[in-house]
Amino acid sequence: MKLVRRDLVPNGPGSVKVVPEEDDDMWHAYNLICEGDSVQAVTVRKVLKEKASGGRDAERVKLKLEIKVESVDYDKEGSVLRIRGKNILENEHVKIGQFHTLQIEPHRPFVLRKDVWDSMARDVLQQACDPSASADLAVILMQEGLAHLFLIGKSITATRSRIETSIPRKHGPAIAGYESALKKFFENVLQALLKHIDFKVVRCVVIASPGFTKDQFRDYLLLEAERRQLRSIIENKSHLILAHSTSGYKHSLKEVLDAPSVMTLIKDTKAAQEVRALKDFFNMLSNDTARACYGPKHVEVAHERMAVQTLLITDSLFKNSDISTRQKYIKLVESVKDSGGAVHIFSSMHVSGEQLAQLTGIAAILRFPLPDLEDIEM
Amino acid sequence: MPRKVNHGLDYDEDYDAYDDYDDYDYDYGADGNDYENDNGNSSQQGTKVSRPRIWQCSICTYDNDESSLSCEICGIIRDCSANFDNNDKDKAIDMSKSSEASIMGKSNLTQVPSAPLQTEITSVGFPSKKASKSFGKASRDVEDATKSLASNLDHLKLNNNTMNSKKAPSRTPYKSEKWMFQDQEQGILSQLNLAIVGHVDSGKSTLSGRLLYLLGRISKREMHKYEKGAKEMGKGSFAYAWAMDESYEERERGITMTVAVAYFDSKKYRIVLLDSPGHKDFVPNMISGATQADAAVLVVDASVGSFEAGMDGNGVGQTREHAQLIRSFGVEQIIVAVNKMDMVGYSKERFNFIKLQLSSFLRSRGFKDSSVTWIPISAMENQNLVEAASDVRFSGWYQGLCLLDAIDSLQPPLRDFSKPLILPICDVIKSQSMGQVAACGKLETGAIRHGSKVLVMPSGDLATVRSIERDSSTCSVARAGDNVAVSLQGIDSGLVMPGGVLCHPDFPVRVATRLELKILVLDNAAPILIGSQVEFHIHHAKEAARVVKILSLLDQKTGQVSRMAPRILKAKQSAVIEVALDGAVCVEEYSKCRALGRAFLRSSGSTIAVGVVTRVPEPDL
Repeated sequence: MKLVRRDLVPNGPGSVKVVPEEDDDMWHAYNLICEGDSVQAVTVRKVLKEKASGGRDAERVKLKLEIKVESVDYDKEGSVLRIRGKNILENEHVKIGQFHTLQIEPHRPFVLRKDVWDSMARDVLQQACDPSASADLAVILMQEGLAHLFLIGKSITATRSRIETSIPRKHGPAIAGYESALKKFFENVLQALLKHIDFKVVRCVVIASPGFTKDQFRDYLLLEAERRQLRSIIENKSHLILAHSTSGYKHSLKEVLDAPSVMTLIKDTKAAQEVRALKDFFNMLSNDTARACYGPKHVEVAHERMAVQTLLITDSLFKNSDISTRQKYIKLVESVKDSGGAVHIFSSMHVSGEQLAQLTGIAAILRFPLPDLEDIEM
Repeated sequence: MPRKVNHGLDYDEDYDAYDDYDDYDYDYGADGNDYENDNGNSSQQGTKVSRPRIWQCSICTYDNDESSLSCEICGIIRDCSANFDNNDKDKAIDMSKSSEASIMGKSNLTQVPSAPLQTEITSVGFPSKKASKSFGKASRDVEDATKSLASNLDHLKLNNNTMNSKKAPSRTPYKSEKWMFQDQEQGILSQLNLAIVGHVDSGKSTLSGRLLYLLGRISKREMHKYEKGAKEMGKGSFAYAWAMDESYEERERGITMTVAVAYFDSKKYRIVLLDSPGHKDFVPNMISGATQADAAVLVVDASVGSFEAGMDGNGVGQTREHAQLIRSFGVEQIIVAVNKMDMVGYSKERFNFIKLQLSSFLRSRGFKDSSVTWIPISAMENQNLVEAASDVRFSGWYQGLCLLDAIDSLQPPLRDFSKPLILPICDVIKSQSMGQVAACGKLETGAIRHGSKVLVMPSGDLATVRSIERDSSTCSVARAGDNVAVSLQGIDSGLVMPGGVLCHPDFPVRVATRLELKILVLDNAAPILIGSQVEFHIHHAKEAARVVKILSLLDQKTGQVSRMAPRILKAKQSAVIEVALDGAVCVEEYSKCRALGRAFLRSSGSTIAVGVVTRVPEPDL
């Protein structure tokens, strides 16, 4: 996201003008914009006009509107952000108080005005406008008959494609069927690869699978690239990396990210840090159960006793429309930071964030064991 | 005398818990008419209020007199075989529904009776071609009835548990036909499904290939071809394994990737050999093969270093995982074949050492000492396979059975012919000519023959059996325990897939996405929390799943609930949990059908829990 103008008071009112550039930015905008804020952007609206003959004519007019946000809608698959609210700027076509839905589009600037720019919002803004390179990793996670294609960005993991075919077993006369079904499967994966992966943006492609499917696919890929003269693949041959995973299902993605060869690529990105933090949590849970806890109530109790060493929290908890709950979590984060603990805010769009969200969205590694937490009801 | 040593956790208890269900089976399968008595019994519970005896028609909800056999308004026939007291009207509705279902069958689209089936299927998100849109209001009524019914059904089941009847009394009794029972006098050899499992490179495929060659299933010419091909590829020692590993990939790498099926006959049995992969990555395939097994041969590599590697507990050794899985499949009889004895010079000490180590392990897993047989062999040198050892070093100290005799000494498993048909589909073969589909698998219960109508789950479509093939030869009837390829007619090939089930049209297998399981968490497993994502394996189906709720923690010794809603499950704990699956699978409660009720949870490349399905919650309509 490009920051054009910034005019705000920390923990006070202010406005920013930004231009979103990529899918990640839509996600950041979604995190920034809350109910009660106001957004100003250029948009298209269907306006009814009275014609001379008395009939009504609908015209699409481009105009600049400022609306007070009532609801925000984020489409994960399409990375589209829609904001619905009441108009508050005087306009010849639209009355004040009329409802309108704004669609935030890439490469079009918008102005966001907030009453309170709390630390959370400022953090998000800073992250979004950080010009450092994003992770941009493409991962093909496959097993025989099932493949997922992921694009891992700085803060979101988008599932671009899912391919599933039934491949028959191979004994006796059915061998020919197996080979042809497998070839068809590989062909589908190849097509998905060509369609969704833009090699200019993506730094490297990881192919992961249990067994030998990945080797088979890689050989197939290179063979077909030669045969069909697919320039993009031939040039980027060196960017293909193989990794081992235990299955083709989505939750195995975190194992792939954990593999040393892949880890080196995404070392300094958010995704890697999240994976590591979550792994630490699970290790602690299996080694010393009393030193790890999850669930809002347990974490609060642990925090009251100043026991929290690392706090793991998903950003979906901040998206609560209830202001008081949001405030509560922000305060919790700040106080943990003050007391010397570490806070990892997981993007719920990443695999590790999704996993944390399954565990209620908030977890903590403690400084000292608290065995009586078990007795407290969730 | 086997020493009675307590090896810490007594796994026996757990498996006995599973075995409890055995009792029910025997009562169940003996006489098909049992159901009527059970129905009568269950209706005697809690009936105090006397009312004019009426029954309510499920279609038009008209209260008919008890004496009338068909509904006066819509003409639906009521099944009188269940004598229900009318205190529980819903039971009657259930009765009439199922009777209608069995009478009308699914082919009659305009009849609402098939709606209960449809609603169950459509509610799990399958595109039912016979859309119930035409039913309109009537189907909604039925849905309402189904809702109230669902709660009643559960209630019924809980009550009936104490009465030894496993089937919900709502179904009409299944009448098994004469041709389904096996004729003992004819001297047909009984079937035995044998799974070969063990650590990678222990010699499973070579052993299988050798056995086939020695028993004449592979001709000399074929063997010669394999030998030549293997030598060319630089894998001369894998010549016999090539008999089982037929694909190019497997031969090139020298491993087995999927379960290979072969047939041969011994003196006592017709044996179906299921050669499983030993590689850690292919355990899901091995699970699929072991589902069909009645007995198992655990192949252990005797050479120094390999045995230790196989026993490694940190998840690297497959000997342990395979033994655990085999036991969880309910296989009680196991032959431990200590292979590659030629590498250790047929040393008795080595054999005894391995036997000692493994026997304590197997005992802890729940195998009884009496059902474990120890056979030292050498597949490469052909020692002690089908005849007694010829090598002097060997025969000097070993006078026991050879492998084939040991297989013959296994007890024949009990087959359930009298229950309705259930065939879990292991494999689907599509033949190009005539667009036929063939489903392969082992019949768990019941029997089929040429021309029978079957229901293909989970899609729920009807098909007719065109032909049945066993070991490349056609047979007319297939019974429980047979491993066959059934060629189907009248169904779209895309609807038949591995993981599905072929069943009797009147007794469809349930399809569900949410299940309640009773599990035992294995050692070396990471803790299970609410929200943990696992892979769920059941018969041949596998799906990604999520642990939704941990309902209660069970005490190992007593099996009673020790704690409600625990937060975390650790290794060796036993609990009742609820899982939500990504896709629907065909499943039945363990108490009703064992093959469809055993489940495995895997995560991060190893099996973390084994369990049984205790309850299939009715889908939320």
